[in-house]
Amino acid sequence: MIRTYHVAFAFVAAIFALVLTACDEEQEAPPAAEATLADTGRELVQAICTGCHVKRDDGSLSRISFGRRTPEGWDMTLVRMMNFHGLSLTKEDRRAIVKYLSDTQGLAPSETVPFRYALERRPNIIESGQDQTMMEMCARCHSFARVGLQRRTKEEWLNLVHMHVGQWPTIEYQAMARDRDWWDDARGRVVDDLARAFPLDDPAWAAWQDAQRHALTGKWRFVSYQPGQGYHHGTLEFTEESKDEYTVHFDSTGPDGVAVSGDYNGILYTGFEWRGRGDFGGQPGREVAALSEDGNLLAGRWFHAERPEMGALFEARRVGSGSAIMGVDGEALRRGAETTLVILGTGLSGELDLGPGITTEVTAASESQITARVRVASDAALGRRSLRVGSLVSKDAVAVFDRIDRVVVTPDYATARVGGNGGATPIQAAQFEAVAMHNGADGEPGTADDFRIGVVDAEWSTAPWNEVAAEMNDDKFAGVISPAGLFTPGKAGPNPARVYGTNNAGDLKVIATVQDGDRTVTGEAHLIVTVQRWNSPPIY
Amino acid sequence: MKHLRALNKKAAALEAARDNGGMEEVVAMQVVAGCTSSTDPGWEVDPFGSVASLCQPMEADLYGCTDPCWWPAQVPDTINTYPDWNHDAPSASNDWRKLEAVYPDD
Repeated sequence: MIRTYHVAFAFVAAIFALVLTACDEEQEAPPAAEATLADTGRELVQAICTGCHVKRDDGSLSRISFGRRTPEGWDMTLVRMMNFHGLSLTKEDRRAIVKYLSDTQGLAPSETVPFRYALERRPNIIESGQDQTMMEMCARCHSFARVGLQRRTKEEWLNLVHMHVGQWPTIEYQAMARDRDWWDDARGRVVDDLARAFPLDDPAWAAWQDAQRHALTGKWRFVSYQPGQGYHHGTLEFTEESKDEYTVHFDSTGPDGVAVSGDYNGILYTGFEWRGRGDFGGQPGREVAALSEDGNLLAGRWFHAERPEMGALFEARRVGSGSAIMGVDGEALRRGAETTLVILGTGLSGELDLGPGITTEVTAASESQITARVRVASDAALGRRSLRVGSLVSKDAVAVFDRIDRVVVTPDYATARVGGNGGATPIQAAQFEAVAMHNGADGEPGTADDFRIGVVDAEWSTAPWNEVAAEMNDDKFAGVISPAGLFTPGKAGPNPARVYGTNNAGDLKVIATVQDGDRTVTGEAHLIVTVQRWNSPPIY
Repeated sequence: MKHLRALNKKAAALEAARDNGGMEEVVAMQVVAGCTSSTDPGWEVDPFGSVASLCQPMEADLYGCTDPCWWPAQVPDTINTYPDWNHDAPSASNDWRKLEAVYPDD
């Protein structure tokens, strides 16, 4: 198929060259603009996809023209064509087609907002808030986000249902066919609801066509908080190499104070969907972020390319577009104590003010970082309070506390996966944090005056979640947790040392023990250590 | 029971257990230990939200999931989409390291 296409393309190119030559004889041709990635994608769609997808009089292509998707969604469609129909595409061609289709049939920024967690590959998300029938029909096998990040006509939603039945016939059981007339539900109510909730034609997409587009070119200030580690911050310098294709130079300082610099690449899809990739300080990295409609804020998540659970949310602000406080390191301020506070941001200037009862001494200040010694009076008011730098206010940025009443472990429910051990899939780790809480003036937990003190150091341990887990010694086999709260699961494969050769799966409590003076406070979370998966598309 | 006669070893063992006062030791399985259409365990967690009732080790019954496309979002189905996925790994328990991840690099 590839060879046929290349021959055909070469033929078309030769004809095109002849036509150009003929034109040259009559008049001087203007310099040819270099084809953009989207131009290449458009040509590939016309050259390859039309082999099966019928072109109609109005220029639309069967199936293709009646859906909209994110870049990841279009890539999954292409991979489906490769798997189902033997389509052969190079990585470069895939990228070009995804670029063209995402630009012309993407999702508007507002359409992606409810489901960005899936694009950003955030770990430990439990989906909620969706209709139960819809969840039972779609989200028993994959995330509902995979559905919610698509737009289709009603006919196309119905086609999707039929495709599922044909390709994966056990869907009948998975969709709870024993308990209901699932097929009528699938073809009827579910398709109706999908077409209503996620229609092809939507005012948000129509408005986005007219919205002003912004290039990323220039310098940005970024701040990123990585759970279990701390703040990364620095600058990004975007250079547009070709339309919507960028190289990025980064200068970053990590939580340990170590500076890292480097370069990576990326593409801006649909006018706002930034996807970066490359060497992130010695590890293969990815970035998924959305550009704000004013073009001055880039917000999303960076992560390890092969271990997406390892990463952090970040925001980057265009330098010169305004000032902002973007992070506060050292939010927990104990009464009567002296501590160091670091404020990260852009355009920072003016007095640092933490309100009555707190005195500050700035030890270093720049427009992007302020470091201060902070002394908290023994009678300073308890609770969250705002931080001010000049005219900037960061609401509830710090907490004044006198004792730690409770510890909440986040996330309260997490999943890890066994991996490695010579197999194709890496482990999936789970990062926990201990968040100190104060019960507020009434001293009662769980009431409105409770407040978050902040992330604190803890001693970490695991224990069986229940009796069965204890009997199976899950805590001995499923993995280990580090002093920083990072749970590393066990190796993949049957374990001959376990009953039945059971995998190193387990059902565990994760326990954080925090010492507050002479008191010991603990918190718990639930961790499922489960088996690997071999099918890992970009939207889980 | 006088009209019933044990025909195989297992039935004879049951009769022997009854005759020797061992009925208390003969108990029905309380939990189905494996993937069945009657309990719908997920790929990651079992019907009780834990892992004890999953197929364990998963490799022992992996191809019971892949052949009929039981968890196609997690495990490549060999019925339609990836017919050759386990071609070089006839025994999942022994050959699981040969099983490749299927989503192609981009």
